[in-house]
Amino acid sequence: MKKDLNLMVAGPQGSGINFTSDTFAKVMSRQGFYVFTNAELFSTIKGEHSYFRVRVSDSEIASYSKRVDILIPLDSKSIILHKDEVSDNGVILSEDKIDDNRYEALQYREILQKVAAKFNKNLSELNVMKNTVALAAAVKMAGIASEELKKVISENFATRKNIAEMNNAVVDEVYASFNSKKSFNLPKVTKSKRMLINSAEAVGMGKVISGLKFQSYYPITPASDESNYLESIMDKYGFVVEQTEDEIAAINMAIAAANTGLRSATSTSGPGFDLMVEALSYAGMTETPVVIFYYQRAGPSTGMPTRHEQGDIKFALTAGHGEFPRVVIAPGDHTESFYDTVESFNIAEHYQLPVIVLLDKSMAMSNTTTEIFDTSKVRIDRGKLILQETSNYLRYKLTDDGISPRSVPGIKGGIITVAGDEHEEDGHIFSEDPDNRITMMNKRMNKMNLVLKEIPEELKVKFYGKSSNKTVIVSWGSPKGAILDALDYYPEISFLQVRMMEPFPSEEVSKYLKGKYVIDIEQNYSGQLADIIKEKTGIEVNSRILKFNGRPMAYEELVDAIKDAQKNKKVVLTYA
Amino acid sequence: MHNTYKTNVEIDWCPGCGDFGILNALTLALQELKIPNENVVLTGGIGCSSKIPHYVNVNALHTLHGRSLAQGEAVKIANPHLEVISASGDGDALGIGMAHLVAAGRRNIDMTYLIFDNGVYGLTKGQASPTLPYGENIKSIETENIKFPVNPLFVALASGYTFVARSYAYNIKHLKDTIVRAIKHKGMAMIDIMQPCVTYNNINTKEFYDARLYDIEASGWNPVAKSEEEYETKVSQAVLKSMEWGDKIPMGVFIQYERETYAQRLSKLIKGYEERNMVMEPIHKDGKPINDISEIMQSFI
Repeated sequence: MKKDLNLMVAGPQGSGINFTSDTFAKVMSRQGFYVFTNAELFSTIKGEHSYFRVRVSDSEIASYSKRVDILIPLDSKSIILHKDEVSDNGVILSEDKIDDNRYEALQYREILQKVAAKFNKNLSELNVMKNTVALAAAVKMAGIASEELKKVISENFATRKNIAEMNNAVVDEVYASFNSKKSFNLPKVTKSKRMLINSAEAVGMGKVISGLKFQSYYPITPASDESNYLESIMDKYGFVVEQTEDEIAAINMAIAAANTGLRSATSTSGPGFDLMVEALSYAGMTETPVVIFYYQRAGPSTGMPTRHEQGDIKFALTAGHGEFPRVVIAPGDHTESFYDTVESFNIAEHYQLPVIVLLDKSMAMSNTTTEIFDTSKVRIDRGKLILQETSNYLRYKLTDDGISPRSVPGIKGGIITVAGDEHEEDGHIFSEDPDNRITMMNKRMNKMNLVLKEIPEELKVKFYGKSSNKTVIVSWGSPKGAILDALDYYPEISFLQVRMMEPFPSEEVSKYLKGKYVIDIEQNYSGQLADIIKEKTGIEVNSRILKFNGRPMAYEELVDAIKDAQKNKKVVLTYA
Repeated sequence: MHNTYKTNVEIDWCPGCGDFGILNALTLALQELKIPNENVVLTGGIGCSSKIPHYVNVNALHTLHGRSLAQGEAVKIANPHLEVISASGDGDALGIGMAHLVAAGRRNIDMTYLIFDNGVYGLTKGQASPTLPYGENIKSIETENIKFPVNPLFVALASGYTFVARSYAYNIKHLKDTIVRAIKHKGMAMIDIMQPCVTYNNINTKEFYDARLYDIEASGWNPVAKSEEEYETKVSQAVLKSMEWGDKIPMGVFIQYERETYAQRLSKLIKGYEERNMVMEPIHKDGKPINDISEIMQSFI
């Protein structure tokens, strides 16, 4: 099976433990290894217990492991909480001696004292570099030369040379004085040029290449990382990121910007999406091409804001009063997040409807090695957008396919009237004619048939494994990673990833699931996809593997659960 | 002269409604300013008054209840070359949409916000709105109003609006002139328009306003500030004036100050923002994207 090394850095939030794990991940990724990280944080700024996992392998990986090889606890609480996860051959690096045969001393104070003396500083000024001590020890144990680490540190502190110098002196001191009894060298790999990114960044890059010009958002975990990333590059690419007074303004602004002619989006999480729902219905009625990036987190209500869940799929499919067309896409990894972002804008503009891209906390915060995106595959389709002078213009003109030419303000002869009330071809609202109502409902709703007919299968579903396998796992979104890793142990089982959730690809799903022993895997309480499959195709899944404790799936627990699911109707995962 | 800013859509306001005066004044103002119809965007929320976009021959966004201003702001951010006017009733602006009213002042976008202020929710049969005075028992409500009214001028002044005015639906000359000034003003302008509801509000009627409204500018008030210092002084005086309500009700421009607009501030963050037209910028060539992300992809290696 895959060779891997698993690092865990744990300690109080705000103590910089993410610096240790992120930098470790970067160094290992640069070496050519595959990396997957998992961040478990509290909804607080400082103090509460947090932990970060970094899994490194010579083969492709897409989930974290339960097994910890190197535990770096930055307080004693972290030892108590996590020592049981450390493998028998693992190491617990700590300054304070503990009675455990996995314990090894890491002399933070001594190391920092030496460096402080070298730079004529007090020890207290170097305390923040405790993380660097831990980091250097981990990189050394992984068998990587100190230069590789120092290069990354120098880049991190490119604008603060003296800080870089001191941190690198800490690295040298650790390499000189810290010698572990164990080493965790992975098989040699060739250096690569993979990116180390999360889905928030993948979506951000997807938006840039799609020609996004307007993004609105109200701060919310875990969605705002994406908007903040976009803010950091908005000058370079010349688009606007607008932080609004609330999510109601965010969606309404995104809608208005779309109707003004820009590619426009908003990003949010469950509580924010709740507030957007009225305007979603408006976007459907007004045939507005707006895209909503919906990063799920554990609900209901405020729930667990920094924890993971896929509990909102049914909500995303039905949110909003009345019946209107929408497309819901659920990418399962960072690469799909990028390409699906591109597609989401194309679909929104081509069919003139709201598109929801469903993501989640796990994807938004997990850094994973990802191949450079092949941008030559990216195509932009703006549909029936009119950007030059026109005449006899009607915003909701009836056409053969139900999609009207779309003018925007500023176009001579193309004045638009957009209304959320039922309207006629000209956008005016005053007849409420029953026949017109039927015509307009048909016009809008027929787009769902068009989408089903025209969207290629690979955007609707992806099938992994042999089609002759008698057992098929079905899932959607981020569990894909853990499922693919677990399936290394089950070549006799296949996997159907449902990617387009609305309109639901019943035909394709039936094709792959009919007559199989079907195991549904989801990160929610009830197995919402399984219910949708039943509703849309009549197929009843045989077993559901569910996890709703706020933490993503480790591949090992899935390996066990898949065995159980071949006998039991329901398996609930509890690993944290 | 033919008014080219009116549509031929049949108007469904009650006969005698103050909204007609506002529609006339607005279209006359546009006529005077000669802004090409296709370059004007008029947004409305929900309510009698918010139907006005259908009656004006410009781009019309008939939005949701309370969201007229938020959508209007976004149109202007998306394309700063358009002339944007948002319309709302007092319920739309000061009840369900209040968060946007306050936030818009902070941005100081160069646009105009018209509040059709009649003290009632007309479309739902006359419930008390946020501006109905305390203790009033208009014929459409069951009991007297036990809430204090919100003062739109005071809120706008406190939120940073750089042009704040009150006008009157039945004084078309004053209202037209005020709209022209508001549109010409570089920054966020709000006009609180006293607009009698002939069906439900039998207290704040035409007779009520005719007897009370007086023009503060004709009485010696100069709303124009030319420096931050002068603005601060004038705003505090304007706040006092905005609190007058009784036998005399002030109208006119309370403050007028040209301070850095949102577009100017955005231009500091995004090169050339104000001069560019993002709508007309191509984002692809024959389907191939124009933006090159290779550099940012490199930054993640």
